[in-house]
Amino acid sequence: MSGQRVLVVDDDPDTVIYLTAFLEDHGYDVRATNDTVHALDTIERYHPEVILADVVLPGRSGLDLLVTIRRDPRWRDCAVVMITGMDEILQHDCASYLVSHEGMAGPDGVLGKPIDPGAVLAVLAELSRRRACTKLEECR
Amino acid sequence: MTERYRQYFEEMPCYLSVHDPSFRIIDGNQRFRRDFGERLGDQCYRVYKGRDEGCENCPVAATFADGVSHMSEQILVTTGGEKVQVLVNTTPIRNGAGETVAVMEMHTDIREVKLLQEQLRRSQSRLGRLFEEVPCYISVQGPDRVIQHANRAFRETFGPALGDHCYSVYKHRDEPCLYCPSQEVFANGKVQKHEELVTSACGEQINVLCTTAPLHNAAGEIEAVIEMSTDITEIRKLQSQLTSIGLLVGSISHGIKGLLTGLDGGMYLVNTGFDKNRPERVKQGWEMVQRNVERIRSMVLDILYYAKDRDLEINDIDAARLAADVVDSGQKRATDLDLALTLAVADEPGVVPGDPKAVRAMLVNIVENSLDACRADTYKTGHAVVVTVRRVPPWMEFAIEDNGIGMDRETREKIFSLFFSSKGISGTGLGLFISNKIADKLGGSIDVASEPGKGSRFVVRLPLEAKPSTHQGSAPETAAGER
Repeated sequence: MSGQRVLVVDDDPDTVIYLTAFLEDHGYDVRATNDTVHALDTIERYHPEVILADVVLPGRSGLDLLVTIRRDPRWRDCAVVMITGMDEILQHDCASYLVSHEGMAGPDGVLGKPIDPGAVLAVLAELSRRRACTKLEECR
Repeated sequence: MTERYRQYFEEMPCYLSVHDPSFRIIDGNQRFRRDFGERLGDQCYRVYKGRDEGCENCPVAATFADGVSHMSEQILVTTGGEKVQVLVNTTPIRNGAGETVAVMEMHTDIREVKLLQEQLRRSQSRLGRLFEEVPCYISVQGPDRVIQHANRAFRETFGPALGDHCYSVYKHRDEPCLYCPSQEVFANGKVQKHEELVTSACGEQINVLCTTAPLHNAAGEIEAVIEMSTDITEIRKLQSQLTSIGLLVGSISHGIKGLLTGLDGGMYLVNTGFDKNRPERVKQGWEMVQRNVERIRSMVLDILYYAKDRDLEINDIDAARLAADVVDSGQKRATDLDLALTLAVADEPGVVPGDPKAVRAMLVNIVENSLDACRADTYKTGHAVVVTVRRVPPWMEFAIEDNGIGMDRETREKIFSLFFSSKGISGTGLGLFISNKIADKLGGSIDVASEPGKGSRFVVRLPLEAKPSTHQGSAPETAAGER
């Protein structure tokens, strides 16, 4: 899992600083942006394996980012974890949003705010494990 | 033949009498004799009215005078003393030379008609009073949307209104509304029910529950519609307050989650900074903690502003001094964020009437927002916030301009809405709502211009002459003095 590329998308500078420092301390290679438009630019250049995205962002929302990534076959291996302070709303919004985009997979994980560092590491480890399994199957 | 006409004369269902030029009755039919007796030879005014002399406006006299028929309403008194209201028609009886030698008078009993007329009048009067006094707004509109009738409550609230278009009276619009219930009723004849927000003549917003129904003419065509609107403003206010409480709780909870993330982050950086012996990380973490403690303070003040109302205390405010104080209060944070917060005072702006605590809180809030907008903009450097104050009669103008992240149109249009925040997790959506409320209560305004990526400019205008209404009103509690 060391060196796994993670993109943090959050408009709150404190959250960005916190997640960046925390993940770097745990061996992740981290990039961060404040909105969806810049996130898409960064994805093109940086090819993150996991995106940790806030739901409420200025302009296009985090859900919009999720749908854009899901639609683009180039990023089919990119996992998306939504982070929000509005857990219940997110669940409802996610369900209704993705129903309107038939057949589309939802986020690979949902993390609430305030951020639980243990939960972040657990989600990233699980995603790393899944990625390893997928690669193993491909090799076979 | 003569016999037959005599029979007709006798059996006519009214009083028939024939008068000579001296007003003597020379003939009368059966009904006349029944009610007035065998009075042939007596003067008509004695027989019919018990008078000793001729009546004024006597139709018989008039017919003798001009030889044509006359009609009038009279009250006769029968031999039994009963008063009979009659419609009198006279007709001349001429001799071979064409001279009027007698006048025939026909009296038709109209008591029943008069009774019905009176009942109708009373009924109309009762309906009219009901229409006038009913405690809701009633208007009648034609197909051209012109108000034809309106009751007292309507006139008192929306002005005289008759002859005006409903959309101009109800909504102060220059053109018809997009959805018009009256036109819907004209089109399908069905009663329409809907809720509307209308504006009174003095500009007050009123929530009404409106029922519109067709008014048919005798041919069954819809010739007008009647609209009855009930004022439900108080119910809506109550609903809104209950909704606000729910939203406030949700908003506070949402804001607190963001603050906890910031505090967690700060503590993490401080702890790991010490562990790794990285002073710059400790400093960064400690600043994060301080920033979020400040946010908590600000949030608590916002909640207090929202929760409590108090009367405005109007005093003269030294505009330049207030602006300097506001800039001073943001200076530490600006330095921490490595951006320039400066003040520009044009000439001597002088004083402006207002509640000093409320105005200070409003300006501090906007400056804080500008600092946040610069901090959120990670795509350029050299951020600056400039506060200017100048006298532009009839206003005192405070402008707060930043070159931060800016706002798109949607955000710009919503920033003064309650619980709207563009700051994601870190905003409660109270600050600018309260600022706008303060400006409004002082008779002023806040205008905003902004462009994504370029920055924003907020202009607060306060009237140089205090508006009388502001002294009466109440403002959100300001705890700015507690800072």
